[in-house]
Amino acid sequence: MKSRSSIAFVSMLLTSFVLSPLAHAAPVRKKLAIKAGRIITIAGADIKNGVILTEDGMIKAVGTDVEIPWDAFVIEAKDQVVMPGFVLAHTSSGLDRANENVPEVPFLSTFDSIDPISTFFEDSLRDGVVAMLVLPGNDTLLGGTGTVVKPHGRTVEAMLIERDTGLKISLRPTRNTSRMGHMQRFRRYMSDLKEYLEEYEQRKADAKEEKKPFDEEIDPRKQPMIDLLNQRLTAFVYCDRAADVPKAIDIQKTDKLNTVLVLSPDCYKAVGLVAKSKLPVILDPELIVWETNEETNEEEMKIIPMIFHQAGVKFALQTDTSQYGRRYLWYQAATAVKHGMKRTEALKSITLYPAQFIGVDDRLGSIEAGKEATVIFLTGDPFDAQTWVDQVMIAGQIVYEREKDERLKKLLEEPEAIPTPEDTD
Amino acid sequence: MKGCAILLTFLLLVPVSAARGQADVTAIKAGKILTISGDPIADGVILIKNGKIADIGTEIEIPEDASVMDAGQNVVMPGLVDARAVPPVRGDLNEQSSEMTPALRISSALDPQSKALKRLVQTGVTTLLISPGPRNVIGGLGVVVKPTGKIPQEMVVKDDAALTIVMDLDSAYGNLVPWYRSPNNFYYRRPTTRMAIIWMLRKSFFDARQYATSKQEQDAALGILSSALEDEIPIHVNVRRAINIRTILKIADQYGLQLILDECTEGYKVADKLARKNVPVVLGPFYYYPRSSGQMREGRKVNWNNAGLLASAGVKVALASGERPESIDLLTAATFAVRHGMQRDEALKAVTITPAEILRVADKVGSLEKGKDADILILSGDPLNVTTRIEKVILNGKTVYTAD
Repeated sequence: MKSRSSIAFVSMLLTSFVLSPLAHAAPVRKKLAIKAGRIITIAGADIKNGVILTEDGMIKAVGTDVEIPWDAFVIEAKDQVVMPGFVLAHTSSGLDRANENVPEVPFLSTFDSIDPISTFFEDSLRDGVVAMLVLPGNDTLLGGTGTVVKPHGRTVEAMLIERDTGLKISLRPTRNTSRMGHMQRFRRYMSDLKEYLEEYEQRKADAKEEKKPFDEEIDPRKQPMIDLLNQRLTAFVYCDRAADVPKAIDIQKTDKLNTVLVLSPDCYKAVGLVAKSKLPVILDPELIVWETNEETNEEEMKIIPMIFHQAGVKFALQTDTSQYGRRYLWYQAATAVKHGMKRTEALKSITLYPAQFIGVDDRLGSIEAGKEATVIFLTGDPFDAQTWVDQVMIAGQIVYEREKDERLKKLLEEPEAIPTPEDTD
Repeated sequence: MKGCAILLTFLLLVPVSAARGQADVTAIKAGKILTISGDPIADGVILIKNGKIADIGTEIEIPEDASVMDAGQNVVMPGLVDARAVPPVRGDLNEQSSEMTPALRISSALDPQSKALKRLVQTGVTTLLISPGPRNVIGGLGVVVKPTGKIPQEMVVKDDAALTIVMDLDSAYGNLVPWYRSPNNFYYRRPTTRMAIIWMLRKSFFDARQYATSKQEQDAALGILSSALEDEIPIHVNVRRAINIRTILKIADQYGLQLILDECTEGYKVADKLARKNVPVVLGPFYYYPRSSGQMREGRKVNWNNAGLLASAGVKVALASGERPESIDLLTAATFAVRHGMQRDEALKAVTITPAEILRVADKVGSLEKGKDADILILSGDPLNVTTRIEKVILNGKTVYTAD
């Protein structure tokens, strides 16, 4: 795992040098000291006028009384708020097509489909996201495995943090099938798989008994599902309706699968079950839904994160682009705070918790000694809409600077006037 | 906690005033009142009588029989005015029988039970314009309503409030008959090109002018168009691209029309011109990601600071939630407009008094002033903060929504 990430790191460096006009990344400094006006550590309380000391891209120390070595490069961020970069635990953006049109394709990987020059990644970096799990969409029963990437780098290899993380299982019936058929298809796949494994083991045992060499390999098309059964992979189970939640929990229990629930807004009706299962949850980007109360016939606003929060469920938030504010993780968390969620918990739902769910919390998700120096520099409070991401640092390297963000300038500045004869009137 | 306290005071107060049988005088005390029309008032009082604001200020004597609503340190501001909202009507919004339907009134399809209305109330909207859909070149007459009432007549603030014209390809989109289908059926509609849309507009205003001078036989459609020519009915033009904005301005010059531009995605490109001609704009919610459909491909050149650039050029800018139910609420739209460069006070005006002026109902709504309707929001904090929540919505002096 370590070596893989270091290979990724080196290749990222290489590509960033080769394609330097596009990726204007600053060099990596061996020792860095970030002097910040406020540090939101997530791991503990906020630190005012603190210092983050890093070495080789890793955090060495955090606090107010940290001694800065003479040879450290000092970054002054007196007026800025420094916090861990946001982590997106579930997305199907940045792919050319999110769903294969065959329902059972666990052997596919989003690694083959990620488009590094998709504006989604560029925007994510601009918005302070430093890691995301890109999974297949919600329209395939066994959709394939996901890839954890950082939104920086010109090739998938350069962006890579972790391959084959999580396997997407969607309980939403594929087009033209019923829920009955969909579930049956899943059960049949699992029983076929177990049968295959038994027979395989039998053949292996027979060969051993007969003292024959056994060189039959496991069918690679089944490997991800076998990894799932062996708890080497986590299932990201998408529930389209509240009625899917008990099925997802049942699937988890039957084979003791590592499971993360990806819930549609409707699943709030099954919040009790979710809370009891103690499974990690990723909430839908749609955080507020309106429903008609059948008894009073009144429209009621349902605030999904509050319902889960009050039930004691730990969840991560995600984004989409169907509504303007929803494309920002901070906005999603701020929406939860608006309706009464605690700030610290809301911040965790876009940093530490998603990092835990996708298995990168050993490096990301909070600012503490031993983790990667992957932080964002904000102009103010993360929940203030007037706050911008000034810089993004990934593993000790500044990879985004707002001052140099040409596209952002274009999106905000006045265009050049085009005078036409009629304009003289 | 604060919310609880307010709720408690409320629960205690309501029965008392009801028992007295004259709950028509209410006083709202608040730490901060944003009047919009003037400077903010600290520790002020709003006196409401018969659904109207009877008085507002710091030194106001509260009558003994008034029921007092203490908003504590919460912020009070006028109810929001949405100059283009999800139409609370039954059925389809687009009349398919003709492309020119100026005499249709959307008020005749108004549904007071609509769920869209209740949602709008919960996002703080207390006055809104609803218009026919975008599939007709001249779609018909819009109406300004308030989102509560048992029958449509109770809701209406101003009927025949806007004549809807669609300049973009929306009105032509889908009219093109595939080559393999015969064109001579009922569903065959024109126009199919931008040229035809513009021609149809010119022709109808030409006809209306002829009609106005000759006054031959009565004609409902031409009658409405000629009163639009006379500026008796404001003309709302749904237009996104700069090229179409220029064209409609030219037509407006030719016929002496006073326009209001809706959506106006590329308005920032012609900001100076709009300011010079004194044309107000109603900006729809913007989408950064262009949709795949042909309709959205119009107006692709998005500038996040469209509202700010237009406002600083001197254009009257209103922000609207648009006709899509999933679009963001007005306060959030204003918050993001400020994020992208609009002035704070301009943004607040853009969701209150400016749309009220554009809709010509500023004598009734849009700010907290003596004599205006008591449409009031009580917010947990600064209105332009994402974490601020709407605690209470008061419409015509009555509480219509309380957050729990």
